[in-house]
Amino acid sequence: MIQKKICMVGVFGTGKTSLVQRFVHSMFTDKYHSTVGVKIDRKQVLLDGETVNLVLWDLAGREESEEIPTSYFRGSAGIFYVIDGTRRETFDQIFAIRESVQGTIGVVPSLVALNKKDLVDEWRLGQGDYNALMDADLHAIGTSAKSGEGVENAFLWIANATVNK
Amino acid sequence: MKDELGTHEDLPEPPPAPADSEQLSQAFGELRELLLSGERRRLAELERRLDEMGITPEELAERLPDAVALRTTQDKQLARSLAPTFREAFGESVQRNPQQIAHAIFPILGPAIRKAIAETMAGFVNTLNRAIENSLSVRGLKWRIEAWRTGVPYAQIVIKHALVYRVEQVYLIHRETSLPLAHVTAEDLETQDADLISGMLTAIRDFVQDSFGSSDHGDGGLRTFSVGERTVLVEQGPKALLAAVVNGQHPPALVERLQATLEMIHLHFGIPLADFEGDAEPFEATKPLLEECLEKVLTTDRPSTRGSAPRVAWVVVGAAVILMLALWTRSSIRWNRATNALENEPGIVLIEEEHGFLGGSIRGLRDPTATDPSLLLTEAGVDTFKIQANWEPYLSFDEPVVVERARRALLAPQTVEFELAGDTLRVSGSATYDWASGATEFLEKIPGVTHLDFSRADLTIPADLLTLQSRIEERRILFDVGSAALVPPAMDLIAEIATLYLDLISIGSEKGYQVSLELIGRTDTTGSNETNRVLSQNRANRVLTVLESRGAPRNMLAELGIGTSDPIESDDPEEEAALNRSVSLRVTVTYGIGGEGN
Repeated sequence: MIQKKICMVGVFGTGKTSLVQRFVHSMFTDKYHSTVGVKIDRKQVLLDGETVNLVLWDLAGREESEEIPTSYFRGSAGIFYVIDGTRRETFDQIFAIRESVQGTIGVVPSLVALNKKDLVDEWRLGQGDYNALMDADLHAIGTSAKSGEGVENAFLWIANATVNK
Repeated sequence: MKDELGTHEDLPEPPPAPADSEQLSQAFGELRELLLSGERRRLAELERRLDEMGITPEELAERLPDAVALRTTQDKQLARSLAPTFREAFGESVQRNPQQIAHAIFPILGPAIRKAIAETMAGFVNTLNRAIENSLSVRGLKWRIEAWRTGVPYAQIVIKHALVYRVEQVYLIHRETSLPLAHVTAEDLETQDADLISGMLTAIRDFVQDSFGSSDHGDGGLRTFSVGERTVLVEQGPKALLAAVVNGQHPPALVERLQATLEMIHLHFGIPLADFEGDAEPFEATKPLLEECLEKVLTTDRPSTRGSAPRVAWVVVGAAVILMLALWTRSSIRWNRATNALENEPGIVLIEEEHGFLGGSIRGLRDPTATDPSLLLTEAGVDTFKIQANWEPYLSFDEPVVVERARRALLAPQTVEFELAGDTLRVSGSATYDWASGATEFLEKIPGVTHLDFSRADLTIPADLLTLQSRIEERRILFDVGSAALVPPAMDLIAEIATLYLDLISIGSEKGYQVSLELIGRTDTTGSNETNRVLSQNRANRVLTVLESRGAPRNMLAELGIGTSDPIESDDPEEEAALNRSVSLRVTVTYGIGGEGN
């Protein structure tokens, strides 16, 4: 059985823990829990008839100015960036975070989840932003931890990318 | 892909081909010979010696023992390298010629087996001792309660408390990715989620390293941390970590052992570790090594805890024994008292008795007249509900039983006493004639009695007859001076007397008594004796006639005129004269024909 470590990275409050909860336990709660340090969860997925064990490192969200503890990235087969589509600054900061990650572990398969897709009225991102992500070679998938939309898809994409890199 | 590229790049380039003719080449060779002949010879010699540097088998045979000895003193690499080869060779050898191997190891096999059996037995005895000690002690009881309270099996509770230390789980974790490579758990413990634990262990280690700024390499990282009674030992290698979850106090030797295991894994699994891409399959083979780390060390004998607990146990056992003895003694005393009472009881014959701790059984004979045996048992303090009693009926000739049987059969009144002399039943006390008569007739139906002796008995007329008799006799019919005429009050009186007398006859005859009534006529002292005798006779006749007319049978009546010969006396002369102008009544009751009367 193949095992892959995936790190969930993003600014605080973007919904990293909620995405993991939705993906692993099919649960969603409106309550906001600030993650302290790191939470580790696990989910088995089936890719082309082979079981892949995803070990999800849900890293604590950081404030803008804070540095991400890079040691947690080590050994990651993939990085799962999370952006809150209703908060522009979470989008802006993703590039700096990515630089920090790549500085530590180099280039690994990465995905950007544009989360909170269910909050259509508060959406702050547009086509220009999506193009910017594409230019940065970041695959983006719209997700909603609340409705579950795109969540499974996003995790399967990253799993697939890590196995077939 | 990278490898392929590398090999192409590393290919040497071909040397440039010479352009000149063979002639030129020959001339060049000659020149070389002239200029460099000395050097060429030395070169050839060197070449030859270099060739000889490749060791010949002969040379190897000479140097091998020294080489082996030298390497063995340096490290264990040689043994590790040779181990697989030796294993294979030995396996092959056993397969090809098992007999020879069997012969070879025979001298060590016997002692080894004996030793193994002896150790197993010693271990078993030790376990048994401890089990007995634990089950009797207060500590054992506490553990039982703990097992009951927590729902954990008792055996595990015992192990938990008797444990010095135990390596419960060992994780082999890939250092780079923090993914678990292999994981073993001590038997009878629940397996935990290796992925999450491995991840968290690494996360904790990373956190500690980041927080305290200690070096990632060398000994600076997280080595141990404690969780409740458990300690997690983390050994770090260049490519993998070994984490052992230990319950209890581990010795330093355990850490060394973990280090050795980790080194061994790095040695044998260096390539899979370096190439790890998430597939833990190749590391299944490390499990035997990890399992060797799952040590368990229990307490042997702990003198400190041995002192008090067994003493308490012995006191408890002693008290229990004393209590049992006391109960048994009390029970035995009661039982003996009961059986003695039964043996001494007339009409009861004890054939068999058995006293058990919880009860007993009794078998015997019992006359229906005898006292109820369960009454005697209860009196002696024996619980009859716990006893199995089996009584066969029989006829007893014990005196008290015969007497009691007679008393019941004869419906004897309370006033009668009996005494058995041989087969004669002596009656004393008072009884009526009719009962005495009936008893004699009934005698033959009482086993054990053939004669009745009434010589000491006081036989009487039944009380109801005596009452009627006195009621009749207290009446007296009075007459006027010199007259035998019956005045009206006298007629009423005679009617009363007639009724009473007829009752007496009727009741008496039912019980076999005969009754007669005597009428005694009297006169006062005035007048001559002859006149008075005739007058008294007439008075008695008159009363008799009236009684007869009232239904009194003539043959049960008698009249007598006695004149003044036996006067009724009184202090007052006038009253005395009136009392004697009368007819008095005298009743006679007799039993049967020729029976005694009164």
